[in-house]
Amino acid sequence: MKGYTGKVLFVDLTTGNINVQQIGDEVYENLLSGVGLGAYFLYNNIPQGADPLGPDNVLGFVSGLLTGTGSVMTGRWLAVCKSPLTGGWGDANGGGDFSPAIKQCGYDGIFFKGISGKPVYLYVDNKVTQLKDASHVWGKDAVEAEETLEKENWNMKKPSIAVIGQAAEKLSFISGICNDKGRIAARSGVGAVMGSKKLKAVVLAGTKLIKCEKPEAVKAISKEFSDKVRKSNLPGIFKGGILPVLSRLTAKQKVFSAANGMTVVSMYKKFGTGMGNTFGIPNGDSPLKNWGGSVVDYNKSYYKNINPDKVTKREEKKYHCYSCVIGCGGVCGISDISKGEFSHTHKPEYETVCAFGGLLMNKNLESIFYINELLNRAGMDTISAGNTVAYAIECYVNGLLTIKDTDGLELIWGNSEAIVSLVKKMITREGIGDILADGVKVAVSKLGEHTAKYAMHAGGQEPGMHDARLDPMLGIHYSADPTPGRHTIGAGTYYNMMHLWDVVSWAPKVKNKTPKSEEYRATDEVGMKSVVGSCIKQVVDGSGGCLFAMITGIENWRLFDYLNDATGWGKTPDEYMEMGKRMQTLRQMFNIREGIAPLSCRIQDRMAGVPPLKEGALSGKTIPIEDMMRKHWKHFGWDADTGVPTTETIVKLGLDKLVTGVENE
Amino acid sequence: MSKGKPNFNYNNCMACGICVAICPLSCLKLSKTNVDKYKKAYPELALQENCKECGICAGSCPLEAIKHIPSI
Repeated sequence: MKGYTGKVLFVDLTTGNINVQQIGDEVYENLLSGVGLGAYFLYNNIPQGADPLGPDNVLGFVSGLLTGTGSVMTGRWLAVCKSPLTGGWGDANGGGDFSPAIKQCGYDGIFFKGISGKPVYLYVDNKVTQLKDASHVWGKDAVEAEETLEKENWNMKKPSIAVIGQAAEKLSFISGICNDKGRIAARSGVGAVMGSKKLKAVVLAGTKLIKCEKPEAVKAISKEFSDKVRKSNLPGIFKGGILPVLSRLTAKQKVFSAANGMTVVSMYKKFGTGMGNTFGIPNGDSPLKNWGGSVVDYNKSYYKNINPDKVTKREEKKYHCYSCVIGCGGVCGISDISKGEFSHTHKPEYETVCAFGGLLMNKNLESIFYINELLNRAGMDTISAGNTVAYAIECYVNGLLTIKDTDGLELIWGNSEAIVSLVKKMITREGIGDILADGVKVAVSKLGEHTAKYAMHAGGQEPGMHDARLDPMLGIHYSADPTPGRHTIGAGTYYNMMHLWDVVSWAPKVKNKTPKSEEYRATDEVGMKSVVGSCIKQVVDGSGGCLFAMITGIENWRLFDYLNDATGWGKTPDEYMEMGKRMQTLRQMFNIREGIAPLSCRIQDRMAGVPPLKEGALSGKTIPIEDMMRKHWKHFGWDADTGVPTTETIVKLGLDKLVTGVENE
Repeated sequence: MSKGKPNFNYNNCMACGICVAICPLSCLKLSKTNVDKYKKAYPELALQENCKECGICAGSCPLEAIKHIPSI
């Protein structure tokens, strides 16, 4: 009755054994569900030093505590495992309708260990839990496989399906897990782990109701938030062409203040994340030319081609994840672009447009639509793939790769035909594609250390499409999160919109008109703010919440009230933030146990402005990233020099009693 | 006990899909697109013949956008 089921399913793919495990209330009361439950389960069940692609790794699919309770913006699920990409904690966040489907089967999470002798998929409904043969869909792309499995398993309820494409079958370290015919939990190489287990899909058709403590109170919060979203609209005259103008204005600002998060909602409703396609370029948010260029290079003659109006022109209908009242997604027609190969694609996210647009100096929007569908079907992360193609291009134009190495592809900036061909080779692991299919870190190990200066990553994971030289706190999260390289953890802009200082006693208040230069200093305040950002994101990921709801502000999307009404716990915001700190610390402990040196996960020099750019909005900007990481760790109660959680903090958070083997830390 | 087939109030509905996901017989589908300027796909009773009038969809809606029309 508290929004969670108290049960997980644990499948051993080697033996075929399937067990239901009870999870005690104390786990939820300390770690919530979602990523917290995942961290608890993986820490206890993955032996130290396990091969990420071996039988000892555990792959989990976790829902969120608030999913299915009548709350809105809580339809996110996560895949969790030891990451082959980073060698440490791995997670990837997905939308669609898979999160409620996990709980409708009666579980908060489904975990897999072992390796099957043949391709299989797991089918679960209210009565049946069964591993089934997947030989007939092995080799198919994620959309084809989902369509086939949906047809075969649609009895009463239309099943919800998480499935891998060819990239994961071929164990690409940058492959993800797909659902809803083109959504993808893309990061950390979670797809490769699924592929290594010969697990093609998870097919869920349960219809159990999800109960919580005060459903009417939960619904009342949903109604209040939905009414605000309904009223957040841009005027009809607001077109995509205005975005670069606004961007130039923001680039000139020398101060920052608290901001109204609901303004972003109106942008998402109109453009989706595509609002960033051009908004991010003049102000420096979008990394260009493999993080080495600026708006001087990718100027208006380029970026006018990726105006979000041109993207939405192809949008046939909006797409919402489960329980989302904003609806940033869309379904676009691309039959003409793909010459009949594909009828539709999910609207390319900003991350994809930037990773295959400005990052590669590519102005051919049609090629980006096509690549989007290729990668969604293959199940390959567009962020990592784009960064990897950018690395390859920079190697080529500097003579470190020859046309013979590239199998005849002229990998110069903006050559969209060559980029499309290279993506296809990466998916099939053909020729140069095999070298690049595991991301930039593996590529450097194959092509030589002299290419490392062009490989942009943090701890092995390629970064999202937001530049820390504009928002330095983003650089802390890229570098110091246990899943490095993620753009969705925290940022100064998020902090300014969330207004957590109104309810969390230790969250520093943003002073009106604070000089922007303060963001570039490794101060205790910056460190404290970044800890707040990490903790709230853990609470969101434990709840199944959406990042875009989080940044509307705690007074709008009332997360803590939702949790109290769903569970009846009556906890304070400070207590929930303590849970976030516990979850983050447990993920960091996982990395330490695996031998990860946290300082080694810092962003590459170029991303930190070493040397600084000479042109554009970010010219001259440098971030003292290591000092900032140390401030972050200090305020987490971890060793400020090493990033290792201290025994004192572990005991204070009760983690020594919650998980096994902590005495060996 | 039969509670009637669902009737959608699109003034309240935000196309969040909670009702679609909860329907045990997958009778509902997000496919009605002529409701607003955003091209949102709103829910509708796509499989009338499958609906057992259980009322779960209306009970799940946080926005009071579904009412049931009792069968005669």
